[in-house]
Amino acid sequence: MREREERKEERLVALVLDSISLRRNNSWIVRNVTLRFDRGKTYAILGNNGVGKTTIVNMIMGLEGYREHEGRIFLDGEDITALPVHQRARKGITLLWQEPARFQGLRVIEYLTLGGKLAVNPRILEDVLKAVGLNASYLEREIDESLSGGERKRIELASVLLLKPRYAMLDEPDSGIDLMSTEMIKDIFQRLKTAGSAVIAVTHREEIALLTDKAFLVCGGMVVKEDSPKEVCEYYKTLCDWCDHVNKPEEAQMG
Amino acid sequence: MRIGSNYSKEFQRIVEIYERAGGDAANLLKGDVASIIVSGQKVLGLNNVRGVSMESFSKDDVVIVKINVGDRVHIPSPTHLCVGALDKVGEQRIRFEIEVGEESEISFLSHCSFPFADDFAHIMEAVFHLRKGAKVFYEDHHFHSDSGGTKVRTSYSVILDTKSHFENRFYLTRTRVGRLELDMESHNNGEGSVVHLETKVYERADDRVEVREKLYLNAPESSGILKTAIFATDSSYANVVNEAYGNAPHVRGHVECREIVKGDEVQVGTIPVLRMRYDTSELTHEASIGRVNAKQLQTLMAKGLTEDEATELIVKGMLR
Repeated sequence: MREREERKEERLVALVLDSISLRRNNSWIVRNVTLRFDRGKTYAILGNNGVGKTTIVNMIMGLEGYREHEGRIFLDGEDITALPVHQRARKGITLLWQEPARFQGLRVIEYLTLGGKLAVNPRILEDVLKAVGLNASYLEREIDESLSGGERKRIELASVLLLKPRYAMLDEPDSGIDLMSTEMIKDIFQRLKTAGSAVIAVTHREEIALLTDKAFLVCGGMVVKEDSPKEVCEYYKTLCDWCDHVNKPEEAQMG
Repeated sequence: MRIGSNYSKEFQRIVEIYERAGGDAANLLKGDVASIIVSGQKVLGLNNVRGVSMESFSKDDVVIVKINVGDRVHIPSPTHLCVGALDKVGEQRIRFEIEVGEESEISFLSHCSFPFADDFAHIMEAVFHLRKGAKVFYEDHHFHSDSGGTKVRTSYSVILDTKSHFENRFYLTRTRVGRLELDMESHNNGEGSVVHLETKVYERADDRVEVREKLYLNAPESSGILKTAIFATDSSYANVVNEAYGNAPHVRGHVECREIVKGDEVQVGTIPVLRMRYDTSELTHEASIGRVNAKQLQTLMAKGLTEDEATELIVKGMLR
């Protein structure tokens, strides 16, 4: 009884994944993942391509095709497993996609303010654009093929900053952005952290993982190590570079 | 612009609906802007500027407006065409004959408003002839009644001489449609002529839309793009037929139709037709029918918008 109470207490100010698993075509994509993310801290979900990192954050966001899973997800004490995407977002979770979508005809200002639903001071708009390396002239641009993937990624990052989520999940936040921008990513992490958000960065790059407070190494849909980013990166570098444990959870567990 | 004293009340009301439809009435009254106001079967006012000659008359219950732009004339401000009716029931027939001289450039901004129509038909025919090197941009915004009682039959026919350029944008996105039959055809008869026709419609309730666009690329090096985007909701119906004919060498044509549907009772369809005679030419088509792109939808929902709110925003961009 007391143990249950303590567990409940722990979930009150955190995003908690309680043994979540997802199976597709008779194989496990994510298996028995239990994680906890506290607000005001930064995390890395590290791993090679195809190991299930993106699937984990898609499950947390509740995206279509990722909601029929085993296990439960708690947000600040509330079981959100059954909630649709927009309700999870309204409770403070958001997701930056690895490859942001294009929106033909939609201007950046409309996108950032969600068609006017998000009241934002123009100075704050300029400030967040500056933080992602863009200027105010982008506000009138359309989010179509005229913007590069990197520019769209920066706009997504600006959107996350504006939304001030409690839990910001950033899938490969630096992809499409040149290597010189690692500093910028670091600043964004810091900015979100200072505002009290938890940052959950999905990455295959050690440089990004090393910017965080804690790292989880994923292999074959399972968390195989959690520790300081330095320790996890060392493990990743030594054991994962050559390894082919992609989507083979049982073997990964052995590894 | 001079308004006949017996039309002053009607003019006021038509100006009101013009402004409600997004038009800027001040432009209708400016002396240096060419404009015409047609209410029902009456021409309430008309203003010509240097280089543009407009005249109107009625024949067999059809209002005929002839617009002639001389050679090498560049009209900086758009020519405003304010067309509408205040009646609930009735019919308006109107024909525009527009001739643009060599190397001239002009743009038209047309607003067609039928805010009270319960059973009102607007039958409009526009015939354009662009001489060598002429450039025309024509934008047509429609605003119909909420009852769905507006019936519009509009046809555009464009003849393009050498190196002329025509762009047309037709929008019916802010109000209900009612019934719409839209026929557009471009005859690219001059070498290197270019046409771009774009149609955007948002259908609600039991609106019905028929779009037929034809592109005849009759001269070498001519090119054209036909694009239609329709957002069909509720129990609306849409049928789009885009045809492109490559009748000369080295022509390029592209037809595109995108129909986004929402609801289980919509009926939409599209048929692209491409015919070509020369192996140096290229015709392409792109067509899609389906719900709003899932990634776009979920991206916005992950920011807190409901599915309906996200759809509205995506469609707003798409139909702009």
